[in-house]
Amino acid sequence: MADALQILILGLALGGVFALMGSGLSLVFGVMRIVNLAHPALIIGGAYVAYWGFKLWGIDPLVMLPVAALILAITGIVLYKLVFEREARSAKYSEMTVLLTFATAMIVEGAIGTAFTNTQRVTSPDYATDAIFIGDIFIPTGQLYAGIVSLAIIGALALFLKYSRFGYAIRATTQNRDAAELLGVNVNLVGMVSFAIGIALAGAAGALVSFVFSFFPAKHWEWIAVLMSLVVLGGMGSILGTVVAAFFLSVIAAFVGAWIGSTWSTMTFFLALFIVLLVRPQGFFGEKPELS
Amino acid sequence: MSLTTLDGTSDVLDARKTYNAALAKRADRTRATWFPLLLLALLLAFPAMQFLGNYNYAIHLILFTASYVVMASGWNILGGFAGYISLGHNVFFAIGGYFAGMIFARLGISTIILAPFAGLLCAVVGYGIGQITLKVRGPSFIISSLALVMIVRILFDHWEFVGGSGGLALPANDLPVRWAKLPYYYAFVVMAAFAVWASYKIKHSKFGLGLRALSKDEIKAESAGIDTRRYKTLAFAISAFFVGMAGAVWGEYLTYIRPNIFLIILVSVNMVLICILGGKGTVAGPVVGAILIVTFNEFFVATLGASEINILATGLVMASVLIFFPLGIVGTLAKSGRLPRILNWD
Repeated sequence: MADALQILILGLALGGVFALMGSGLSLVFGVMRIVNLAHPALIIGGAYVAYWGFKLWGIDPLVMLPVAALILAITGIVLYKLVFEREARSAKYSEMTVLLTFATAMIVEGAIGTAFTNTQRVTSPDYATDAIFIGDIFIPTGQLYAGIVSLAIIGALALFLKYSRFGYAIRATTQNRDAAELLGVNVNLVGMVSFAIGIALAGAAGALVSFVFSFFPAKHWEWIAVLMSLVVLGGMGSILGTVVAAFFLSVIAAFVGAWIGSTWSTMTFFLALFIVLLVRPQGFFGEKPELS
Repeated sequence: MSLTTLDGTSDVLDARKTYNAALAKRADRTRATWFPLLLLALLLAFPAMQFLGNYNYAIHLILFTASYVVMASGWNILGGFAGYISLGHNVFFAIGGYFAGMIFARLGISTIILAPFAGLLCAVVGYGIGQITLKVRGPSFIISSLALVMIVRILFDHWEFVGGSGGLALPANDLPVRWAKLPYYYAFVVMAAFAVWASYKIKHSKFGLGLRALSKDEIKAESAGIDTRRYKTLAFAISAFFVGMAGAVWGEYLTYIRPNIFLIILVSVNMVLICILGGKGTVAGPVVGAILIVTFNEFFVATLGASEINILATGLVMASVLIFFPLGIVGTLAKSGRLPRILNWD
């Protein structure tokens, strides 16, 4: 019983980090209808910001978090202006943007890899390797802090979306872009800002990832399908759904890892994707229903 | 003028038939069938150069290009004709490579003989996978194809029978160095010619017409009486066949099979990129794209070395092609009517 509780706690701790990793992806999809395959690569970018802050000046990754978020937000605006704005009127918008974000992922990976080589790195503040013991059960402090910070950020985001005027505009655009535009919402500005917020969330997640996982530029390929499974299972564009899915799947993955073997734990996420595919043949993103 | 007379002939139908024949004739006149045939003849004769000196590097480059022509032409049947973009086709590259490689290692049967069987196996697997993943289109399909690569990668990494993540070494052939590459060279050139011929045939068949219809609008295609489900799963199987065939011979050529040769994202990206660069849905596109990508690859590897720069450059090329020439080279030229006759293979 204690074992199961221990596994549950480890799964929940990981779920907190995955929740933040997935929420930016969900926001960008909700508002822009862009399936951003570059999101995990940008998370790695955020992780490198935190890593160098710690390595060069000894700044705690949690302090570097806003810096990483800011740098990534600027990257997001540049990306949006350079690439995605002109695609808005493309006939094959969703397909084009997926391929473009895929190319972006390769550009980001290649640029980071060229600059900092492909060696594994991890930020190591004191708390990253520490643990709190409650009876027989231990909680790794690194993951605990990461989970708390991640939930705090998601909570702030939820409040912003729910109560601020701009948050109204974002939610309105998510629900119905054309209707929002008719009612005077500047959907282009909303698109750009929410894209920037989404990428900033990737930066913030990166700072947390930097001391929870070891990372290297090519690592993001492992995360693409993992994050997609969270967003898909949670219902595309729903941030709350993504968070719930993150905790749910992380806990399952933790049990699979402990009881069946650690190599199979990531398989949980990929199989979840395929199961959703089987039971929701209309597609993850509400595409046209298929006749058969 | 009645529409149909009692004996079943019709003025309108006859007129349409003559008109179509005239169109086909005009298309035939602009098509230069001699050029691909000449190219094939030159490629088949090229190894004679080995009598004059050491052209092993050139042979390797042509072989490498031909292998990508096979894969990209195969990918093009699903991604170009049917419009289903798969980023996971290297799964079939791996299945073909492992199937033929394992039999080659155990029984010593050359992978060149095994290639068609590896292709068939991949077609069957592709048909099965297509039954599930082809239910969705657009971004969902792309993501499911990526997830497929991840699943297969985990499976192959931990399947001890085929060597796990360390892979398996295959015996090299005992030909002298000068001739050692030639069996694979001919295998790939012949497969490439077959793949190009097959995609021409498919494009001009009723099946190909159906695929192009469903790539434009699946619901309209369905209501026009096309069995879209069967058509696209078949397209998936055929494209898997070609990729699997290429994988089979590739393993023996490299003399080892390992997950991180077959199941890296760069392989599947190259297939997609070659087709997008050359022109999705055209017959000549994959050939033009493969030549450009291999040249470009060699240039970057030779001048800059590191594989990470290669990824950066591949990403930049892909993004700029998508933004500036979404139809690809052949497609863009054909649209503006400036396609040179020698490249009009459609």
